[in-house]
Amino acid sequence: MRSCDLTGYPRCDGTAGVRNLMLVLPSVVCATQVARELGKAAGAVAIVHQHGCLHVGDDLAHTERMLVGAALNPNIGAVLIVGLGCETVQGASLARTLSERRPRVDYVGIQEAGGTAQALAQGRAIVDGRLAQLSATPRVALERGTVRVGIDRAGDPLVEPLREALETRGFPTCVAETASVGGAHVELAAAGMQAIVSLCGPGEPPLGSAICPVIAVARDREMYLALADDFDLGAIEGTHREHAQLIAETVASVCAGEPTAAERRGALDFVLQRLAVTM
Amino acid sequence: MSELLGYPRDSGRWGIRNHVLILAARAAANRAAELIADKSGGAIAVGHEWEARPGDADAELIVRTLVGFAANPNVGGVVLVAATDADRELADEIAARGQTVETVVMTEHGGTLGTVDAGAELARRLSGAAARCRPQPMPLTALSVGLECGGSDAWSGITANPALGIASDRLIAAGATAILAEVPELVGAERFLASRAVTPDIGRQVIALIEGFERSVRELGVDIRGAQPTPGNIHGGLTTIEEKSLGAARKAGTAPIQGVLAYAQAPSRPGLYIMDTPGHDIEQMVGLVAGGCQAIAFTTGRGTPTGSPIAPCLKISTNSRIYERMPGDIDLDAGGIIDGSKTVESVGDAIFETLLEIGRGRRTCSELRGNSEFAIRRVHYD
Repeated sequence: MRSCDLTGYPRCDGTAGVRNLMLVLPSVVCATQVARELGKAAGAVAIVHQHGCLHVGDDLAHTERMLVGAALNPNIGAVLIVGLGCETVQGASLARTLSERRPRVDYVGIQEAGGTAQALAQGRAIVDGRLAQLSATPRVALERGTVRVGIDRAGDPLVEPLREALETRGFPTCVAETASVGGAHVELAAAGMQAIVSLCGPGEPPLGSAICPVIAVARDREMYLALADDFDLGAIEGTHREHAQLIAETVASVCAGEPTAAERRGALDFVLQRLAVTM
Repeated sequence: MSELLGYPRDSGRWGIRNHVLILAARAAANRAAELIADKSGGAIAVGHEWEARPGDADAELIVRTLVGFAANPNVGGVVLVAATDADRELADEIAARGQTVETVVMTEHGGTLGTVDAGAELARRLSGAAARCRPQPMPLTALSVGLECGGSDAWSGITANPALGIASDRLIAAGATAILAEVPELVGAERFLASRAVTPDIGRQVIALIEGFERSVRELGVDIRGAQPTPGNIHGGLTTIEEKSLGAARKAGTAPIQGVLAYAQAPSRPGLYIMDTPGHDIEQMVGLVAGGCQAIAFTTGRGTPTGSPIAPCLKISTNSRIYERMPGDIDLDAGGIIDGSKTVESVGDAIFETLLEIGRGRRTCSELRGNSEFAIRRVHYD
């Protein structure tokens, strides 16, 4: 079995990204407008989410873990945290946590900056500077085993042959158990997977991810035909093994830089699972 | 000049804005909705994190919120971006509320790309029809205002909130509607509010609402003090949730309380109401707008720039320092009450007059900035 010539962006902790993204991450929903504006810069991606304030207990810990994990994903070359200032998940402390583990972590607080206009001006200067740094970084050869692939659906009969096909090619795998597909993607991204295979069942339209390329595989022929543009692979004739081989080949070319359907349409989904009510 | 200029709707209600809304039926339709809005000039896209998974125990709550939001009279027409045929139900419910709605189904267009072309065509058609509507004199009795505070500080309960209470009393006296919300931030004020209910039964509902929230927090086994007051509240001088609540409740003035509303529920008659929402500013604002509020009056001590995609949000600072520090984010300053250069009454009157101006088309800071935060409350967890 041929192993692919893996290239990407090595990180200081021994991991490596298959993308080199400038992530704009709001710590709270109140900072999403500024983040969205900053994410319009070519080469930047912004996450728009609904959370970050008035969490309690496990739900707070989970939310912080997911935001930190997403920002530490090896695909992220630089991250700008946008905070408001009065929120529960404090943007400044999120940025401090990240900067202990990674270079190129910046923070803009809207209240501290003196409002939206100032925050945007500060943020734009940071994003432009980081994008220039990132664009100067070449892809280099990676060691086998450094790129891990998440599979978003436990229980699909394709999972075991797919794990085998991916691992044979040098991609360690991890399977999510989360019922929510978007929630599974966030958890896989936060656990450090650099690519995700999404196995979409009947009636399930595919999601993208702001952090990882998502290879969307329709497990249902009718759904594939109806939404062909948004899937990377359809329901394929043949055995599970053959199907798994084809997916693994696609994963390899996506990891080498080929854009997924979700990347082409610009779907930057980030669906965070919650564990308790908002206060 | 008439007090308000608005858009009469088939539902019998009036909008003070005339937006075309591109609403994603579920998360998988978010990108298509965004691209449709980009392509159709002026339409507003709203996306969210709901996946419409079968068996989601919050489906009823979320559908009610999306339907109420789309049916808000500030919206002149809706393009619903359905991912599959299953999402058409949402369009039927929006139409049943008297709203103009066109549906584009992604599975009928081979995915996002084709959907964007078809959806943009529908959006342009709705925008054309909306542009032909001219605002007409609108009765003040048709106006509903949501009362919010976000990023509160120790001045909130002394300056901006009591002033907003005066504006609220003037709205109610004129036959309009005002809705107080954020139940966690009413903890400690329940007896005071219940004593203002129009009937003993509604008084009991007010107490049950607030005590029910406290009970649910205890059942979670967490301490509300972990979240309330927030880091910003504490930095701003608030010490306890009770102190925050007694200040927060003052937004609702002194008018009698007509009833308790569920999240995203519209009241059937004018007057002052309490809606069951979290303290989270955006979950709360979405609930109020889905409950028919055409405008939000929002006091802030720490300075928060948020707004609604479809409803003007009047930002009132509790202190002049934050007003001066965040130019372009805050519309009106109540800080003059601190040094005696203004009175609570004069600021209350200014809030009321500004709300009328907004109801005649004046754009708020959050509208000019394009703030369009959106979040739906959830009550069930996997």
